[in-house]
Amino acid sequence: MNMQQAIKMTAAETALVDAYGAQIGDLPGDGAVLSLRDTLVHELRTAGLPTRRIESWHYTDLRTLLRDVPAADPSAFADRVEAIVPGSSVLSVRNGQADLKSVPEGIKARSYTDSLVDGSAAAGLAILGADDAIGRINGGLVRGGLEIAIAEGAEFAAPIEIQVVQSHGQAHTRFPVSFGAGSKATVIERHVSTSAEASFVSTVSDVTLGEGADVIWIVVQQQGPADTHLGQIRFDLAKDAKLHIFVINAGGKLVRQELHGRASGEGADLTLRGINLLGGESHTDVTFTLTHAVPHTTSSEIIRNVIFDRARGVFQGKILVAKDAQKTDAKMACNTLLLSDEADMSAKPELEIFADDVQCGHGATVADIDHTQLFYMLARGIPEKKARAMLVNAFVAEIVEELEDDEALVEALEGVISAWLEKHA
Amino acid sequence: MPAVQETIDQVRQIDVDQYKYGFETKIEMDKAPKGLNEDIIRLISSKKNEPEWMLEWRLQAYRRWLTMEEPSWARVRYPKIDFNDIHYYAAPKSMSGPKSLDEVDPELLKVYEKLGIPLREQEILAGVEKSKIAVDAVFDSVSVVTTFKEELKKAGVIFMSISEAMREHPDLVRKYLGTVVPQSDNFYATLNSAVFTDGSFVYVPKGVRCPMELSTYFRINEKNTGQFERTLIIADEGAYVSYLEGCTAPQRDENQLHAAVVELIALDDAEIKYSTVQNWYPGDKHGKGGVYNFVTKRGDCRGKNSKISWTQVETGSAITWKYPSCILRGDGSRGEFYSIAVSNGHQQVDSGTKMIHLGKNTSSRIISKGIAAGVSDNTYRGQVSAHRKAENARNFTQCDSLLIGDKCGAHTVPYIEAKNSTAQFEHEATTSKISEDQLFYCLQRGIPEEAAIALIVNGFVKEVIQELPMEFAVEAQKLIGISLEGSVG
Repeated sequence: MNMQQAIKMTAAETALVDAYGAQIGDLPGDGAVLSLRDTLVHELRTAGLPTRRIESWHYTDLRTLLRDVPAADPSAFADRVEAIVPGSSVLSVRNGQADLKSVPEGIKARSYTDSLVDGSAAAGLAILGADDAIGRINGGLVRGGLEIAIAEGAEFAAPIEIQVVQSHGQAHTRFPVSFGAGSKATVIERHVSTSAEASFVSTVSDVTLGEGADVIWIVVQQQGPADTHLGQIRFDLAKDAKLHIFVINAGGKLVRQELHGRASGEGADLTLRGINLLGGESHTDVTFTLTHAVPHTTSSEIIRNVIFDRARGVFQGKILVAKDAQKTDAKMACNTLLLSDEADMSAKPELEIFADDVQCGHGATVADIDHTQLFYMLARGIPEKKARAMLVNAFVAEIVEELEDDEALVEALEGVISAWLEKHA
Repeated sequence: MPAVQETIDQVRQIDVDQYKYGFETKIEMDKAPKGLNEDIIRLISSKKNEPEWMLEWRLQAYRRWLTMEEPSWARVRYPKIDFNDIHYYAAPKSMSGPKSLDEVDPELLKVYEKLGIPLREQEILAGVEKSKIAVDAVFDSVSVVTTFKEELKKAGVIFMSISEAMREHPDLVRKYLGTVVPQSDNFYATLNSAVFTDGSFVYVPKGVRCPMELSTYFRINEKNTGQFERTLIIADEGAYVSYLEGCTAPQRDENQLHAAVVELIALDDAEIKYSTVQNWYPGDKHGKGGVYNFVTKRGDCRGKNSKISWTQVETGSAITWKYPSCILRGDGSRGEFYSIAVSNGHQQVDSGTKMIHLGKNTSSRIISKGIAAGVSDNTYRGQVSAHRKAENARNFTQCDSLLIGDKCGAHTVPYIEAKNSTAQFEHEATTSKISEDQLFYCLQRGIPEEAAIALIVNGFVKEVIQELPMEFAVEAQKLIGISLEGSVG
């Protein structure tokens, strides 16, 4: 529908448009990039932030939920923090400026700001999904990030950590990352806030895997309790490529984590694991779409949500099997522990299938802790609080353990989970 | 796994070209002019001798409808409907309201004979095997005849056309009409509120178990007419009623519109079982013609421990847009939805249910099987929600679809919303409903794989089929006779 008439802008919409206006002479980009930014912000201004009337934002009415946006502040960026897995190569982005001090061999990295300035980023910026509010906000305001190319056949002993650390204000980053054929790597995309002051973060990672590449991509989102995090990961898998995405949301007040991907080559395999830890009054939305475009591709998704207090969880998952994509094998599950009567969870696991020889399934459950399990533990003298904590921990730890090949990584992720649970449970 | 040959053959048998009920009957009709305006509504209301409040109610709905937009969220595509190119009222000339069977035009009776619908009470009684079913036969815009009225009356059950009920039991109609599906509910329901012409009314008094199955048979016959019926069923405290609905239409090149509203109300400890075998004309194999079926069906479990169960077998219509739902308001109430939706040719189905848990200790169960063949699209769209105060709400949902051929599509769009930690929701749409264990058991005993699959799967479909009253189950089985191996979730 064409809804071009002017809307009355909300405080947040005004703040975003103003942030653009205030930086207009300062945002990096050549002519093409700058005019694209103009278009994106104009679209944001005319259409506004998405509301629940837009199907893909049905449970996250951004226009209502996003009440205000903190002003951009160049001094808000903090120094890099300790890598989550000891021994990782850390690449960080600070106030739009890439820090490329420790680029390991086999990686070509450059500042995304440079790509904006020379215009090579324009094509990527122009790609928008349907109702892509994150793509628009980020495209309009992005200042920097990293453009990374992993060499063909490269392998790494330690994970590569991409860090965005800040204390308040705004951060808009982008990470186009391409993995060469046959390469093997673990990348940790980490968003950390160092203070309780509000920050507003948008980030887009554009991940492409060459033939036979084998990649583990971890997102650790540890924003502060007042933060808004709008994240998007786009991915494309070539023949026999294998991608394991693992998302932990353990922070933020308003979080939308989108994952949109495509299995483009035969034999491609996607694994998605998500752990969403929600407490307080936070709202966390994980929205996932995957297109199985060719025959013989596989995918498996498991999302586990733990919801305390007055928090609201959302999961939207959509698997699309294209015509002729025979022998697709896709499974999706979303399990939720709803631990408070004031909490709520909405799930929409969709299948859209146009091929007949496929195996697709999804499951969704919402429930409290199993009382028989709790009783079993109480009967053995474990205090209730501890028993509950153990059961909650077991519920999510199960899927972390799948990464058993990398013990240090498993330990690090378990650390993130238990630290969060100690604070909230 | 791909569909087995047996399934493919059986689906072919019910292909659109095999539509058996496509004959047309030449009967002199009394029609309202084409178009929709307040005068047409006044005309319908006066034809029906309706009380003044009813006309007001209709006009209010019509004015509301003018401000509404046609919904576009469903996964169905069709050319824009010209709502002014439809006759909103068409009745056989010989009819001025339901009469006794002897007065009904023999031509009309022949139609029902041809459709296999028993209208002559003596004949039904004479038949040994057939059990008694009371039928309300609706032909285009009017109810032609309602059988077994007297016998039902003895039990205190009111079963008549809704226009008749409006005259004879205005208080009951006024008390309940529009309380489940309000006038402003949605585009099609609002249109229906303005122009509905007939339908059935059932009231089962306190503590009465309705002595026989009730049934309404809808037939669209006239060209360019829309059928807008309205059904209202009330089961008072402790009452029980089982109601069946069937429908067919002639084969025509142009599309016909059917926009019905069904409201069910179950008070304390009451139970309503509503079954549909929907067999409207689906259009020909090129997608020409067929009925557009935009239906709002909703049940309100208003009383404690009440129960409403929907069972549907959907094989017809060019477009199906239908979500029989339950509002589980009473504590301890229960909602059920069993569905088999078969789409073939160019049919488009977007169907499912809503289970809205409001009361405490409410439970619901959804079993949905979709089968898509030809170039059809088959979507399950369902919502399960638990309100903040719906303690111990419990839902189990299972929806499976099967694709036959590579030009059709099957889609699942469930919405699961829990606002209460004691709610327990399970949604599953598993790959293959055939467990390896069962298959192994059969194979081990020398049953060939295909036969084993057919065996297991037939047992599996029974889950839905057995929810139908016996008379309908036979018809449904004939209509479907399909083995489902649930290849898609």
